[in-house]
Amino acid sequence: MTELTKVVMRLDGVADAHRLDVYEANGGYSALRKALGEMKPQEVIDEVKASGLRGKGGAGFPAGLKWSFVPQDHPGPKYLACNADEGEPGTFKDRWIIENNPHEMIEGCIICAYAVGLSHIYVYCRGEFYEGKRKIEQAAKEAYAKGYLGENILGSGFSTHLTVHTGAGSYECGEETALLTSMEGGRGHPKIKPPFPASEGAWRKPTVINNVETLATVPAVITQGAQWHAGMGTEKSKGVKMVCVSGHVERPGIYEVEFGVPASGIINDLAGGVWKGRQLKGYFPGGSSTPVLPAEKADVLYDYESIAEAGSMLGSGALIAFDNETDVVRMAEVITRFYAWESCGKCTPCREGTRWMLQIYERILNGGGRMDDLELLLSICNNLEFKSFCPFGDAAVGVVRSTINLYRDEYEEYIREHKVYRRRFVPVKH
Amino acid sequence: MTVSVQLHPELRKWVEERLSRYPTRRSLLVPTLMQAQKYHDYASPGLMQAVAALLDVPESEVMSVASFYTLIAKHPVGRHIVQVCHNVSCYLRGCDEVIAQLEERLGCKVGETTEDGKFTLITVECLAACGSAPVMMVDEKLYENVTPEQIDRILAEAD
Ligand SMILES: Cc1cc2nc3c(=O)[nH]c(=O)nc-3n(C[C@H](O)[C@H](O)[C@H](O)COP(=O)(O)O)c2cc1C
Ligand code: SF4
Ligand code: FES
Repeated sequence: MTELTKVVMRLDGVADAHRLDVYEANGGYSALRKALGEMKPQEVIDEVKASGLRGKGGAGFPAGLKWSFVPQDHPGPKYLACNADEGEPGTFKDRWIIENNPHEMIEGCIICAYAVGLSHIYVYCRGEFYEGKRKIEQAAKEAYAKGYLGENILGSGFSTHLTVHTGAGSYECGEETALLTSMEGGRGHPKIKPPFPASEGAWRKPTVINNVETLATVPAVITQGAQWHAGMGTEKSKGVKMVCVSGHVERPGIYEVEFGVPASGIINDLAGGVWKGRQLKGYFPGGSSTPVLPAEKADVLYDYESIAEAGSMLGSGALIAFDNETDVVRMAEVITRFYAWESCGKCTPCREGTRWMLQIYERILNGGGRMDDLELLLSICNNLEFKSFCPFGDAAVGVVRSTINLYRDEYEEYIREHKVYRRRFVPVKH
Repeated sequence: MTVSVQLHPELRKWVEERLSRYPTRRSLLVPTLMQAQKYHDYASPGLMQAVAALLDVPESEVMSVASFYTLIAKHPVGRHIVQVCHNVSCYLRGCDEVIAQLEERLGCKVGETTEDGKFTLITVECLAACGSAPVMMVDEKLYENVTPEQIDRILAEAD
């Protein structure tokens, strides 16, 4: 039986956990007190490094290592951007944290700011999170009143501030450098690296960018210690992950597990198995940006390395399952439309390639596909991948290439028989 | 000719209260355009001119930025915005039926506004609520596990 290991979700089910008094009654802000009172900033960084905590926003980059890249002696302000843009289709964990346990994230932000010496925390929240923005603002107000934020926090001499910054509907703004451009008041276009944000980020000042879930894990690492965290998960993927399960399962939801449990255990034991008594056809292990794995690979262990070995990515931990009755071509069109419409337009391969792929999908679904369209799609994939300005371009090819490779017969059936997909509505870009 | 717009005093106050939190005025551009929609019908050319002056950003850049973000309405919209997710997890759990029902009950297509100006219907990308797909929003309120049968009740909730 696959079991839950609740770390970030430890207060799941506790009423009003978003309130400061409830959070404190459950041990909240003791990690901050410990860090400020007993640890030097470098010791906090070392602890997070030793814990093996990896970024939960998609790339899995070691958090402590990222923090250590910020130059300690840099004069002037340095910033933390907490990435609450949560836009990867299939992902809905950050919303849970923000709405149910915002103090856990805020406490993690303050500890990070203390460790790295950051003077201001910006929580970049996607525009549609109206409730979430209110919750964080309220929680920050409580934290300011209690002296956890602001000047001379808990008498330590350390000061930092927190501001909630809203996005306005753009997937690409979740990419860390596009997020910074957006925060500076621009279109959500990414910036060239190097310089990396750790040396030149928001307003050209050193900036740490971490995902909500990553930061919300930090308090537990500080209170329970690096060894405790490193003892969970696998050799290289240490700790836990909030896995968002959606699609054709009986009980979609967020399941926090140790890295290394079998994906099939998450689908069957935790999410209740495939719905309606049907069979699993395949799944996206880590969001719409990650290549589809077939049902035969459902036993793969849920950690970064095992999923990579199986030919996909763990991404943001969004497991989207689909059953044997799924129209895979239409599903791929839905996702390709997403990339075509959300491409920021800065670079040609992605801007043009994603749209071209969408046009091809549309003609296949309208009964006008050509047999060489499949090779054409694959060649566009090759011209996007690793040739785009940011990882968005790579993300856009995952579904196209993997579904053509795995379910080619379904594409060919559409084309050969001039099958027409009966649309229930016509999507319009706005 | 652009009709000039006076920014709502509450909006000015909102901006002024936040300026000290940023190293540049321009940083408030996207939040201001979002907030402006609480007081103004939409991001009209006149409104963008006024925001440009307030935040010391060239007008053309305000328009460029506004045009990038889907939540900033560049055209007049209805009093209520109905956003339905059409992305993958919602597709897998039947959002197409929900969208078809919305078109039917509202009497307008995706991308259009009802004749009485009450609702604008749009489909949007993943709303980060895929665990309760299909989902939709009316203004700031999220509706989860939506079925076509619930549409009338949901629409009736908007005044
Ligand atoms: C197109 C694109 C969209 C992204 N969207 C998000 C997002 O919504 N939230 C997030 O935390 N990271 C997102 N990322 C990853 C960020 O670029 C970055 O790696 C992450 O925020 C770093 O935090 P972490 O190390 O804690 O994971 C996205 C990346 C790309 C390429
Ligand atoms: S790959 Fe290019 S066009 Fe696509 S989102 Fe990144 S920068 Fe923009
Ligand atoms: S796909 Fe609809 S909310 Fe995520």
